[in-house]
Amino acid sequence: MLQYTFRRTIAVLPTILCLIVICFFLMRLAPGGPFTSERPLPPAIMANVLERYGLDQPLYVQLFTYLKNIFFNFDFGPSFAQRDRDVNDIIAAGFPVTLTYGFWSAVFVLVLGIPLGVIAALRQNSFWDYVMTGFAIFSQIFPNFVLAPLMVLTFTLALGLLPGGGWNGGQWEYVVMPAVALGTSYLANVARITRSSLLEVLGSPYIRTARAKGLPERTIMIRHALKPTLLPVISYMSPVFVYMITGSVFIDVFFSTGGIGQSFIDAAYTRDYSVILGLAILYSVLTFVLNLAVDLAYAAIDPKVRSGLK
Amino acid sequence: MTNTQTTDSPENHPRTAFGARRQFEQAELAAAEEMITNRSFWADARRRFFKNRMAMIGCVFLLAIFLFAIFGGLFAQYNIEEIDWSLLGNVETEGGPRLDNGHWFGVDELGRDLYARVVQGTRVSLMVGFLAGVAAVLIGSCFGAIAGYYGGRTDQIIMAAYNITLSIPYIIFFVVWQAFFGRSVTQMILVMILINWTAGLLITRGQVMTLKNREFVDAARMMGLSDFKIIARHILPNMLWVIVIYTSITIPDAIMMESLVSFLGVGIQEPQTSWGALISEGASTMTYGTLWQLLFPALFFAVNQISLYYIGDGLRDALDPKER
Repeated sequence: MLQYTFRRTIAVLPTILCLIVICFFLMRLAPGGPFTSERPLPPAIMANVLERYGLDQPLYVQLFTYLKNIFFNFDFGPSFAQRDRDVNDIIAAGFPVTLTYGFWSAVFVLVLGIPLGVIAALRQNSFWDYVMTGFAIFSQIFPNFVLAPLMVLTFTLALGLLPGGGWNGGQWEYVVMPAVALGTSYLANVARITRSSLLEVLGSPYIRTARAKGLPERTIMIRHALKPTLLPVISYMSPVFVYMITGSVFIDVFFSTGGIGQSFIDAAYTRDYSVILGLAILYSVLTFVLNLAVDLAYAAIDPKVRSGLK
Repeated sequence: MTNTQTTDSPENHPRTAFGARRQFEQAELAAAEEMITNRSFWADARRRFFKNRMAMIGCVFLLAIFLFAIFGGLFAQYNIEEIDWSLLGNVETEGGPRLDNGHWFGVDELGRDLYARVVQGTRVSLMVGFLAGVAAVLIGSCFGAIAGYYGGRTDQIIMAAYNITLSIPYIIFFVVWQAFFGRSVTQMILVMILINWTAGLLITRGQVMTLKNREFVDAARMMGLSDFKIIARHILPNMLWVIVIYTSITIPDAIMMESLVSFLGVGIQEPQTSWGALISEGASTMTYGTLWQLLFPALFFAVNQISLYYIGDGLRDALDPKER
């Protein structure tokens, strides 16, 4: 397992390196930059500024320095637009926030989605089954960026129950809406996948055998049906995590949580290249780590995959 | 059809000449029948689709939205840029939807007619969604067909690119692209095609992998047709239904993606607008009580998405052999 993890990590390095190089050149070749403004700076000052940030060097030297700083010092360089901060500061301030509600959102999706799917499968065509189907369609029409304003409208403006934005050190009132708004559409999909997966498992011969042996229904569900049911759900989680990362950018912007998404979008406006690059790298590393976690969870449940890893 | 065949089974056809003729007739009958079933696959699907009530309702609504996008502008009392100065100071109280002053959907926070803006946003959203969705699926299925048909190294490279694309959150592309090229509707469509080039790739790849070993493909190959002709003339028609279904899934996805990034401000920009940008404007002003600015674009978005959802559902039911 350890070896597998190691192999995967090595395999992803070229991908990330590729991403860095492509982004780096795109950024540097782009017309205009963080220092282009309405009133052009005098050439002497411009030269000073460029020298300060090392932008006067040839491109390949810049790239090399950049990579060296990342890999050896874990330093993503200074922000071009915010003079007193560097990218590490921005990440350190915003990342814990994004990670916190992202985590709760994933918990929300799994803890509610799987039982909902199980109930819908066990009681086919019951009230809960219809609730779930309705919910799945609802999530299609109301993706997070429509849902979030409507939630703020309901819970903040109309009912006054929850704060409509901000973070306040991560008190629970401030976490609820970002987490729910981020997770809802995936909750419906997780429930739907759990439902169809459980229905398929329950129809398989080995469950019939377990029933024929006279095992109690509870034992059949927990010991025999649960694990194979979860497999498709777990593999579905890897695209979900990728989408959630994109969704988190929206949540950060909409709820002003102060997460990294806000900095990412701001950086796009101000052409703050080092921040865009640093955060793009962070997002892709995060994606990779989450995907790896999904694969390991899959391997932990599926004996076929597990034996293949050894 | 030959004499040898008939003499092989004399117990079925004691009279050789008659047997041969019957077999020939049978073969012809089978061929004719196959032609009928081949032709009737689409007719059959069409019938099933038209019988699906939800899909038909979806079609009606979608048609209405299209008509709104095309002809809605004719009924607008104001143009997109015109600022209604008489309402500018008191949008919250006076700017709501009203029939008497011609602002049917109210005005936005700058005093512009929201009806005209929604027409414009609908045009942009539909155009971006449909063009990008269709183009992306076409590209994706071409790559899928190539990967599935050639296999081996080609397949590996395409699948590696597929996995890399899927593992990068798409917002990164938009941010980087926007910082590099700026933004316009054309740019938006381009970058969306670029991001979604994987749409339908996996499923066409699987289809081609099963189809390419069928007899009719072998026959085509024996006739010396080029790979391109085999894929275009013989394999593609047999998996057209997969592409149709996948297109119907990708279009709402593309509209959703466009709206999300426009909401974030890295998509469609002023003076252009789209559903996402309008919803974003509405969401930023809803604390002042100007709810119509949020609800009208959100309503159009929601109706469009649910119509497309049911149409896609209906297409899947009608076309997928497994659903029959």
